[in-house]
Amino acid sequence: MEAQELKNIWQAYDQKLEKSLALNLQCIEAIQTQKAKRKLNPLLFLKAFAVLAGIVWVWFLGSVAFAAAVAGYHDSFTVSKLFFIVSTGMIAAITIAAIVAYIRHMSLIWEINSTDNVVEMQEKTTLLQLSTLKAARVLSLQLPFYVTWFFRPEWISGGNLLFWLVYMPVLALFIFLSVWLYTNISVKNIGKKWFKMLFDSAEWTSPAKALQFLQEIEDFRKENP
Amino acid sequence: MDTATKQSFVKIVQQHKGIIYKICNSYCRNRDDREDLAQEIVFQLWKSFEGYNPEYKHSTWLYRIALNVAISFYRKQKNARRLVSDEHLFELKEYEDENAEHSENVGRLQQFINELPELDRALMILYLEEKSHREIADILGISESNVGTKVGRIKQKLKQRFSAIGP
Repeated sequence: MEAQELKNIWQAYDQKLEKSLALNLQCIEAIQTQKAKRKLNPLLFLKAFAVLAGIVWVWFLGSVAFAAAVAGYHDSFTVSKLFFIVSTGMIAAITIAAIVAYIRHMSLIWEINSTDNVVEMQEKTTLLQLSTLKAARVLSLQLPFYVTWFFRPEWISGGNLLFWLVYMPVLALFIFLSVWLYTNISVKNIGKKWFKMLFDSAEWTSPAKALQFLQEIEDFRKENP
Repeated sequence: MDTATKQSFVKIVQQHKGIIYKICNSYCRNRDDREDLAQEIVFQLWKSFEGYNPEYKHSTWLYRIALNVAISFYRKQKNARRLVSDEHLFELKEYEDENAEHSENVGRLQQFINELPELDRALMILYLEEKSHREIADILGISESNVGTKVGRIKQKLKQRFSAIGP
């Protein structure tokens, strides 16, 4: 079969469609009215909501940390107050880093335009899918600070059994989880089972598939793959 | 947007309805998914119609959007939502093809195209639509020489598939 024959088959398909395919004009009209309703990209909306929630959270944490610092300045900086200020401050700082990452994602979403050439647009979309992993990685660093903010030194001096049996193991677990997630949320672990369980849910487009597609884009762009 | 703009948009979609339908068929096997994709393509075309750059041919603009939407849709089908739920964008009238062999070949070619990776599929559709290498390069964002190499390779694959089936 020659190339021209392939084109002839395709043209025959065209002719068939010309005779049998009708466009539902009412449906197009209905789609035209959808434009005003769907101005905002749903992903952009989701990121904007996360940024807003992050700002409120940072504002709240900042306020309580600031209030504790002022109180400490006037009275005294007890160890528990220091733990509280440092922990909330760290949670706020890590949240700010995630907010910055989300704002970058939003600007990437703005840049994505379906009128761009196919390779460029698909590459941007896929990079966006993968960059959400970075935000998750940074956020994992917060974990231990959610355990340390309410620490009291008298638990040690008072010989509190619950401190050694519950608090310390939970803290150790959170530190381990945090370090482990930070080191392991990476494209090199994309094929692993735990990774798929965490990130292959309906809310995430599979990073494994995104990475594979990114490789396909790269190969497609190459002159002689 | 005024009525004249709306009408000129409908005219463009009408002119290119065949290609939208073929792209939907090439990226979706399921009938419902095809309908969702067709509506999404028309919606995205309409959304960017206001900013349409007259420097580009209508077909280049339309192919870029349709293929981009189709590839993205194909990659995240589980999140798809239909825009106009009760309506069908395309209606296929009963049509008796006098040449049964033609019909069979069309089906086979469509099936072979559907088996190609997403980007090769886009390239092959554009090639079969008789777009120049330059226009294909512009739509896809690769060099003209790359288009030539890839088209040759995919054509070879398709020819082999057809030969394997026999005359």
